[in-house]
Amino acid sequence: MANHTTTTQSRFFQHHFVDADQQFDAAKFGMWIFLVTEVLFFGGLFCAYVVFRAWYPELFVEASQELNAIWGGVNTVVLIGSSLTVAMAIKSAQLNQKKNIIINLAITLALAGVFMVIKYFEWTHKFELGIYAGEAYSYGGLEHPKASVFFSLYYLMTGLHGIHVVVGMGLMVWLIVRAYKQHFDPEYYTPLEITGLYWHLVDIIWIFLFPLFYLID
Amino acid sequence: MSEHHAEEHHHHISTDRTLWTVAIALFILTIVTAGVHFLHLPNPWSIIVAMTIAFFKAGLVALVFMQLWWDRRFNGMLLFFSLVFLALLIGLTLLDTLFRAPSGLS
Repeated sequence: MANHTTTTQSRFFQHHFVDADQQFDAAKFGMWIFLVTEVLFFGGLFCAYVVFRAWYPELFVEASQELNAIWGGVNTVVLIGSSLTVAMAIKSAQLNQKKNIIINLAITLALAGVFMVIKYFEWTHKFELGIYAGEAYSYGGLEHPKASVFFSLYYLMTGLHGIHVVVGMGLMVWLIVRAYKQHFDPEYYTPLEITGLYWHLVDIIWIFLFPLFYLID
Repeated sequence: MSEHHAEEHHHHISTDRTLWTVAIALFILTIVTAGVHFLHLPNPWSIIVAMTIAFFKAGLVALVFMQLWWDRRFNGMLLFFSLVFLALLIGLTLLDTLFRAPSGLS
């Protein structure tokens, strides 16, 4: 536990803050405000999901059979694992274990890559069947006249989530570069902390998407 | 731990043990929720069980991985109110869409 009420000056300390703690808390507060906007950003799509599921409950039961619950579950485990390694990277910075920061971030990046590769195969498999969003939908395997609605929601929600994973991968690369340059230590690891918050939120959103799309019965 | 006064603010450091315990709990809950799916529970229970497990998992991630348990209460309050407003959005929308005449469905 670093008790730094008297500030040891990190080179990333900005002069308009009282001390490093205030700088850290301000950044974290800003990130939480951003995460609130993210909840409401995804919230609009969750709202659309609820509306259509209430209208066509039988559609969701039928159409979700086209999704593979095993791959959805594997991806859930992959993302939870990546959340663990992000938390380990932050802990490593707090304990000044600089090599472990890089190792944990690299594992996170790799797991995010695995997630996207699985998503790629899931999506392209559906494209081959003619399962597209909206009017492009041309799959004949489902009886329900509104079958495209389910997959429009599926592509929008997993797609927006996938974009967040790709952005997160970019952030992980940036963090690895900075960790390699020895930028992080117990006095300054703000970018790790707030990127971690973002990454955990992306994980939480998938924790809901998984049962809402793959586990309908 | 509740000594969150501005002048004596320590950053919480999670132990490996805590992080791994939570991760393993999340892995087990993922297997449980997938397993329950293959049991094909009768109608309302499938979604109730799946959402209960999902909220529990999300709570674990938010409280431990995102450290809200040890953090300033204000950050947790922000997340809480974002969920309140999301519930309002969904609830007020359903007040419309659930009570439309059948002809309005298309």
